[in-house]
Amino acid sequence: MEISHSVKERTIAENSLVILLQGIHGHVTTVDLRDESTALGRITNVDAFMNIRLAEVTFTDRQGRVSQLDDLFVTGRNVRYVHIPDEVDIKATVEKQLQLIHKVRYFGGRDKGRKEFPTARHK
Amino acid sequence: MSFLKRFPPPAEGVRQQQPDTEAVLGGRGLGTGTLYIAESRLSWLDKSGLGFSLDYPTISLHAVSRDLNAYPWEHLYVMVNAKFEEEEPKETPMAEGEEEEDSDDDDIEPIAEFRFVPSDKSALEAMFSAMCDCQALHPDPEDEDSDNDYEGEEYDVEAHEQGQGDIPSFYTYEEGLSHLTAEGQATLERLEGMLAQSVSSQYNMAGVRTEDSVREFEDGMEVDTAPVVAGQFEDAEVDH
Repeated sequence: MEISHSVKERTIAENSLVILLQGIHGHVTTVDLRDESTALGRITNVDAFMNIRLAEVTFTDRQGRVSQLDDLFVTGRNVRYVHIPDEVDIKATVEKQLQLIHKVRYFGGRDKGRKEFPTARHK
Repeated sequence: MSFLKRFPPPAEGVRQQQPDTEAVLGGRGLGTGTLYIAESRLSWLDKSGLGFSLDYPTISLHAVSRDLNAYPWEHLYVMVNAKFEEEEPKETPMAEGEEEEDSDDDDIEPIAEFRFVPSDKSALEAMFSAMCDCQALHPDPEDEDSDNDYEGEEYDVEAHEQGQGDIPSFYTYEEGLSHLTAEGQATLERLEGMLAQSVSSQYNMAGVRTEDSVREFEDGMEVDTAPVVAGQFEDAEVDH
């Protein structure tokens, strides 16, 4: 749930559904990969490029062989689907993430703290 | 293994260097050497100096595997979206090295599985993290979502609403004139003259200052406040 330190990544996230994936950190779900393999695990991080890091993964390769992986990092390019767990309220999650981004952006508040330019309403 | 080459180890941006690491491609061991997790690429070199490099954009995924049922040693698993020869081609060599040992879904997408088995198992997490960091430095250039073309600047909603930023100074006509330097006034007259001239070349109308009349004011002290092309429409038939 940590908001990226990069302005570019925050902007990308804010304008795409990656923001939803960033809101489900900590949830266990299945990620379907482009090559038809699947990874079931706990989402530990999703960045703006949809690179996904999962922990405690049950990985089923495209031939159906199953193995356990402690930590898995999939590049965004190779992600086909991310299943959103049933218990997740999608709208609320997106709104919460947007709020977190705005908190970072407007640190100090709109009406509090020093401003670089005098505001029109205070003239 | 024909894809092994001799090259110097990466010198810059090496996030993690892991000696005594065995490299395995598919089912075949390549020997023991040093794994270099550098920002530009992933490289492995054996003790004789032979090795290979993998570019991050070709790496589909990487993982830490401690499942001894799947593979007898704990290792860093790397799946690459490329074809690497594992063995010499056996029977009739196919064109472009198409058919090798794997199954038919190789013509959809080539996949090579590398395993890096460090002698120091405790280093696996660090190796994994270093790879995550380096991978993040190589976002997919072919991303279909072409809207990811964001400049560094965050859209400052507040500033936009209040119309901040550069506030230009405006002068009204009279005010502006009094602010003109002598040079400025001369420029003004020259420009007005040019304007008049371009108009007068099309219409020869009364009231339009020609190039000749402009010269009269070249001393820069007096400026006629009347609009230059007032006469432009004087003989128009329609009354506005």
